[in-house]
Amino acid sequence: MRQDRWPGRRRLLATASCLAGSTPLRARADAPAIRFGLTPVFLDSDLELLRDLEEYLSTSTGAQVQLLKRRTYQEVTSLLLSGQIDAAWICGYPYVQNLGRLALLSVPLHHGRPLYQSYVITEAAAPAASLSELRGMTHAFSDPDSNSGFLVTRWLLARQGERPETFFARSFFAYGHRNVIRAVGSGLAQSGSVDGYVWEVMAQREPQLTRETRILNRSDWHGFPPVCCLSAARGSPAVRALATALEAMPSTPPGRRILATLQLDGWVPGDPAWFDGIARMSAEVGGSAS
Amino acid sequence: MNRDASPFRPGRWPLALRVPVLVSLLMIAAAAVLSHGVLQRLSRDQERHLGELSAAYLDGLATALQPAAIRRDVWETFDALDRAQGRYTALHPGVAMLVLPDGSILASSEPRRFVLGTALPEGLATRSAEAAGRGAPVMDEATARATLGRDLAEGGMGLGRIVAEVDIAPLLAERAAVRRTLLLANGALTLLFAILGFVLVRRLLQPLEILRAQVAAGGETGRVKPLPAAAIARAGPEFAALFGAWNRTAAAIGEREAMAARLAEEERYAQLGKLASGMAHEVNNPLGGLLTAVDTIATHGDDQQVREASVAFLRRGLDDIRNVVRASLVTYKGRPGDGPLHREDLDDLRVLVRHEVERRGLHLQWENALSAESPADRTLTRQIVLNLLLNACAASPDGATVRVVAITGPDGGVVIDVSDEGPGLPAPALALLADPEASPPEGGGLGLWIAVRLAHRLGGRISLCAAAQGTRIRLEVPGVGRVAGPREALAHVA
Repeated sequence: MRQDRWPGRRRLLATASCLAGSTPLRARADAPAIRFGLTPVFLDSDLELLRDLEEYLSTSTGAQVQLLKRRTYQEVTSLLLSGQIDAAWICGYPYVQNLGRLALLSVPLHHGRPLYQSYVITEAAAPAASLSELRGMTHAFSDPDSNSGFLVTRWLLARQGERPETFFARSFFAYGHRNVIRAVGSGLAQSGSVDGYVWEVMAQREPQLTRETRILNRSDWHGFPPVCCLSAARGSPAVRALATALEAMPSTPPGRRILATLQLDGWVPGDPAWFDGIARMSAEVGGSAS
Repeated sequence: MNRDASPFRPGRWPLALRVPVLVSLLMIAAAAVLSHGVLQRLSRDQERHLGELSAAYLDGLATALQPAAIRRDVWETFDALDRAQGRYTALHPGVAMLVLPDGSILASSEPRRFVLGTALPEGLATRSAEAAGRGAPVMDEATARATLGRDLAEGGMGLGRIVAEVDIAPLLAERAAVRRTLLLANGALTLLFAILGFVLVRRLLQPLEILRAQVAAGGETGRVKPLPAAAIARAGPEFAALFGAWNRTAAAIGEREAMAARLAEEERYAQLGKLASGMAHEVNNPLGGLLTAVDTIATHGDDQQVREASVAFLRRGLDDIRNVVRASLVTYKGRPGDGPLHREDLDDLRVLVRHEVERRGLHLQWENALSAESPADRTLTRQIVLNLLLNACAASPDGATVRVVAITGPDGGVVIDVSDEGPGLPAPALALLADPEASPPEGGGLGLWIAVRLAHRLGGRISLCAAAQGTRIRLEVPGVGRVAGPREALAHVA
């Protein structure tokens, strides 16, 4: 899949320079709290990172930012769709499933691009050389609403006329890309579908886990999991403050520390076209790409 | 081999060995019972402790796994099991898994070993069922593992069973360490008590050892010596009393021996007295002829023939006197241990009794077939035979025959028969032959009593032999394997 509409480094730097001179706002006690949902599209198990992120967003937006975590994408998406949270960092798959109701707020840049891949991984010592050789094995998916952790592999199998339920002897959801890597590394599953970005970050931060796994298949490039909000709330102060804070992240030392931890370069306003590939896959496997 | 005489029979071991061995055996028995009790208690405590830890571990797992078991959530089950591995370190948990009611594994903490969806191995299934049934771990010392089991249920519906293995090697190592410590401590104590027992018993029995040595020395020398006063003073009251009794006995025996020695000496001189007139006669008899020969030489000394005949007569006469004197000197001046018996030593006795024989008109048959030298003591053997010979002469009626037959026995010793034609030995004399240690007889028979005692001290004996007529008494003195050497045996007698 080719993505031709991603922001250049120049645009990113211009945005950063605009915000470099601005003084971060202090969280005001009288300002309404901003509720920000998180999913395991990144290493949400790093509690220190979550604390830093919360502090940064609160400082940058001038409001108390509450980070909300749920076990499944669906739970977070539901909170977002029901208006219980102001924005959420979700996957591209739920985004394309709710295109009419959700709007892109911001998309991370990884290696300068708002794109990432899905990996099919196996045990390091497994002899399989292709996806078709995983037949009859146990496979770990991340989440039924995850693009990289479910949709891509499902789509790849569908192209071969297969379904996960029949192709694999057993499959289960680990509800987290890190969990998928643990499941495959421990031998609980012989293969797994995982976010390539998460795998690469873990390869540096927890190499003892990724060392037990091997990348069997890399997918095409897809739009990086975005931060979304309800389309109706796109212009709300809280949402706009959040977008500003995210895009200003490279301009402040706390923000740069967060980005360094996440191994991201920054945030840019998203382009729905970056998620066309996910939408097509969703449509092809029968998902509701509204 | 007689088993009772075997030196390996415990009954024949010295008391100083038997008591420590007995103490050691008692210690070993006590240590075994004590060690068994300690190990049993330790084992029970360990099992109780393991049971409590296991229950806490299973409680934690059950709480974490219950929701996952209801949903049959593979990942959550694995995640909970995997996280629990790093905890409960006091329990040393091994593999843990959740087994569904159909016996298949939902997830395990070692997925490569216990693969998702496969059946639980039969042995583990059996042990875990037993553990779940009795609510306690099932221990297998051979594999150093304990199996745990806990059934999960929701509203009466079985959800599955938590199966886990626990490493009990540290518990077994602790038991082994305690066992080793007990063994070493008990072994050291047993050895210590055995040594102490040996030393103490040796010390307690030291007075007995003194007494034993004294008795043994008496057996060797034939002389019973009293114990020194210092030994009595050192001994405890019981042994002091025993030593006192021993010393009184030794004194009595010493007195008796001294008396026997005096009697023997006196008897010798009594013999000398008996034979003195005879010997004087034996000396006097040739004197008349010798004086006549001297006169003949004085008168007819010029005649060579007469002179030579007279000188030859003188020589024979003087030889005769010399033999008598020599025989008496050898008999009465000799001391025990002067030397072995020569054949001619026995022949001397003929000279000593010749006068008595002739006076009584007896016939003396003398058959000396002894070897040139016999190992029997010369002085004592001659005294014994002379006694027997004088007794035979005295018992014989006038004109009867007294016979002496001496031969060398098969062992190189001496066998001498003295026969007479008398009326036979009286009853007291027969009693003397039967008991060499009898008291001296009253009213005669002292010569035979002395002879019997001397023969006994030489390791020999005097016995009565069957005879068609009269009495035949036999003296036997062994050549080899004597009970006691003549010097040692008779040093205090003669």
